[in-house]
Amino acid sequence: MSPSTRTCEQDISFGRKNYIFLTLVMAITDFKIKYDNSVLGYLWSLLKPLLMFGTLYLVFSVFVRWQVEHYRLYLLLGIILWNFFSEVTLNSMVMLEGKGPILKKISFPRWIIVLSSSLTSLLTLLLNLIVFFIFYILSAVHPKWTIFLLLLYLVELYLLSLGLALCLSALYPKFRDVHHIWGVFMQLGFWITPIIYPVSIVPMKFHKIIFLNPMARIIQGCRDSVIGNSTQFLTLNSHIIIIGAICILFFFGLSLFNRLSPYFAEDL
Amino acid sequence: MITVENVNKVFRLPHQKKTTLRQRFVGIFQRQTYEMFFALQDINLHVERGEFVGIIGRNGSGKSTLLKLIANVLTPTSGQISVLGNVAPFLELGVGFQGELTVKDNIFLYGALLGMNRRQLADKYDWIVEFSGLERFVDAKLKNLSSGMQVRLGFSITVSVESPILLVDEVLAVGDIDFQRKCQDFFDSYRKNGRTILFVSHDLNAVERFCDRVVLLESGTMVSDGETAVVIAEYQKRSGPAKRNRKQYP
Repeated sequence: MSPSTRTCEQDISFGRKNYIFLTLVMAITDFKIKYDNSVLGYLWSLLKPLLMFGTLYLVFSVFVRWQVEHYRLYLLLGIILWNFFSEVTLNSMVMLEGKGPILKKISFPRWIIVLSSSLTSLLTLLLNLIVFFIFYILSAVHPKWTIFLLLLYLVELYLLSLGLALCLSALYPKFRDVHHIWGVFMQLGFWITPIIYPVSIVPMKFHKIIFLNPMARIIQGCRDSVIGNSTQFLTLNSHIIIIGAICILFFFGLSLFNRLSPYFAEDL
Repeated sequence: MITVENVNKVFRLPHQKKTTLRQRFVGIFQRQTYEMFFALQDINLHVERGEFVGIIGRNGSGKSTLLKLIANVLTPTSGQISVLGNVAPFLELGVGFQGELTVKDNIFLYGALLGMNRRQLADKYDWIVEFSGLERFVDAKLKNLSSGMQVRLGFSITVSVESPILLVDEVLAVGDIDFQRKCQDFFDSYRKNGRTILFVSHDLNAVERFCDRVVLLESGTMVSDGETAVVIAEYQKRSGPAKRNRKQYP
């Protein structure tokens, strides 16, 4: 059998613009559905990280005491960023499954689903960051110019999460185990990444390994730029490692996606 | 214009015989066995611009699979498919409707899924609402609407898509007489406008009325392709006398 080919010429009016519109409509729809039937509505997207923050703060600031300047902000920022990362990667798979009936009937680029689900999470992240900055202002930290670097780190965080989401969701329809495996990895990652504890409690010899993890670098970078505990992670080196990881993930993500997405309609 | 050349589609259906826990664990290390199901074999089809082509055949003969291949939802195992022009797939009315959302939101979601952009949707929005007769309910949640209303909404959005090629899978089967009449009016107007339509249906009356040409599929192969009356007669002959108890099409 000869390999299959498909050619498809389309009008200009049916081009990329419509894909962007579809992505946005899907993202907004998912955001609405997510919180629509609950009494507190959108507030849940803020309450979830705040409740987690409250618990961890109680344990690690009242029971165990760590000597970190502005520990509240340190912890809250870490949780918010990590939640975003885990939400994007895990939700991409859940969304793909949820959109199964549509995939089986209508043809559109499958990456739109991953992109739109990541945008939904991005919206939640931005709302959470507003809450963070309310705390920030109340804490009377003196911001330095480095606070603008936060934007760069957030872009890196988004791209890193998206790249990984592409890899995972490409594999998911054929290998459902991916979702479970990644769930376990996220649990592990939460403790391996310095989210609730300061880096200083980690023995020096493990630092190299810990900071191979681009998420650890992003989270520390955000903290350094906003709270200003140190300037250890605001180096060019750090960005090179993060961007390198993004490139690798996108390379694998896109090639996996291109190869496997034509069969999503059969496998889901 | 649609060209389908030497297209084959094979589904691999995995055998699911692991029932006990032990079998499941042992099964990890065994090769999964598959049933090869040849849904379509060596299909060649050429549809010119402006043609209205019917596809008929028994259940499981590959009609929907062929439509899905042309719609680019499925990928052929081998062979070539080329489509010139935008395709609007009417494989199911209102697929992707979200009950939790309002009628308005659903119009935008479904319209976007069918390939419309913001400007096109804004132009069509009033027409869609009016045509579906849901002016009073635009802000109501879709789940609170009757199923008939939902079908009407799905249909209204679908027909507002202006694409030169339509793939229609058994849409007429749902809905009451009024709805079916509306559908038929639309098909008549589509014919006049010179849009290309592929029409899968079990309703031979509808096929006879609309199609210039009919393709008959039988267990994945194309048995005949030609004038409507001739192919329908052949279909009836093939499925007729062999099984007398079977319910006949009118």
